[in-house]
Amino acid sequence: MIEIEARKEVASRTGRLDAVFAALADPTRRAIIERLSRGEARVTEIAEPFHMSLNAVSKHIRVLEASGVVERQRKGRDHILSINTRSLDAVDGWIGRTRSYWEKRLDAMEHLLRVLKTEQKSAPKDRKHGRR
Amino acid sequence: MAGGDTTGPIVQLRRRVKATAEEIFELWTKPDLMARWMSPFPDAVDCKASCDFRLGGSYSLVMASQDSSREVSGTYVQIDRPRKLVFTWMGPLTNHVTTLVTVELNSRGDETELVLTHERLPTPEMHIGHTKGWGHILDHLADATSKDC
Repeated sequence: MIEIEARKEVASRTGRLDAVFAALADPTRRAIIERLSRGEARVTEIAEPFHMSLNAVSKHIRVLEASGVVERQRKGRDHILSINTRSLDAVDGWIGRTRSYWEKRLDAMEHLLRVLKTEQKSAPKDRKHGRR
Repeated sequence: MAGGDTTGPIVQLRRRVKATAEEIFELWTKPDLMARWMSPFPDAVDCKASCDFRLGGSYSLVMASQDSSREVSGTYVQIDRPRKLVFTWMGPLTNHVTTLVTVELNSRGDETELVLTHERLPTPEMHIGHTKGWGHILDHLADATSKDC
């Protein structure tokens, strides 16, 4: 039962993660994130360095907002954008989980190699290694 | 941490293993051996592995404990025995999204350096190499958050 809850949790977490990946799959959107990782900025400031219309940049910003990577605050007439760092933690989370998964598997692989070598020594000569 | 100029997050592990590349290659590609180390369940009652070991062939690992089961599956993308093996990987860890695993085995005397790379595949809309990669963004962010603390 705990397992099922854990799997649901993982499924929703990775679902959000996929949305973040999709949002950041575009170079313009990654550049926007990079800019925002240095501090919050107005929409117009974000749009400035890009050789595209404000409208086109706004579209990218909306994708980033939908994925939860970017948040928008209204201060009077200004729209201030900032990064929701927790959404990018999910990316770090996937990296961490995957690394830990493989670390454990490789430990098990090395353990098996040692077991196989012992089996080989004690097994009759004509038995192929690895067979049980 | 994530690698250099890539479009998706990457996980890479390096290890020196006391075995020949051929011995290690066997562990990754023979179902009876795969079943003995690839399961993440310490108390697995059953781990079944099967594979059609050829380019484009598929493999599957079904791991079951008393109250749940998981399956990992994929297909072989590149086989260069015993130096390199590339296969797709789909399972609970990846939310059943296809990812790519590359295992490289470089002989170092009587040891072997194993390099494992697990990466999420670029989606069709990803443009490779147009801008700085993930590692850069995450590093930047790590700097920013550590300054806050």
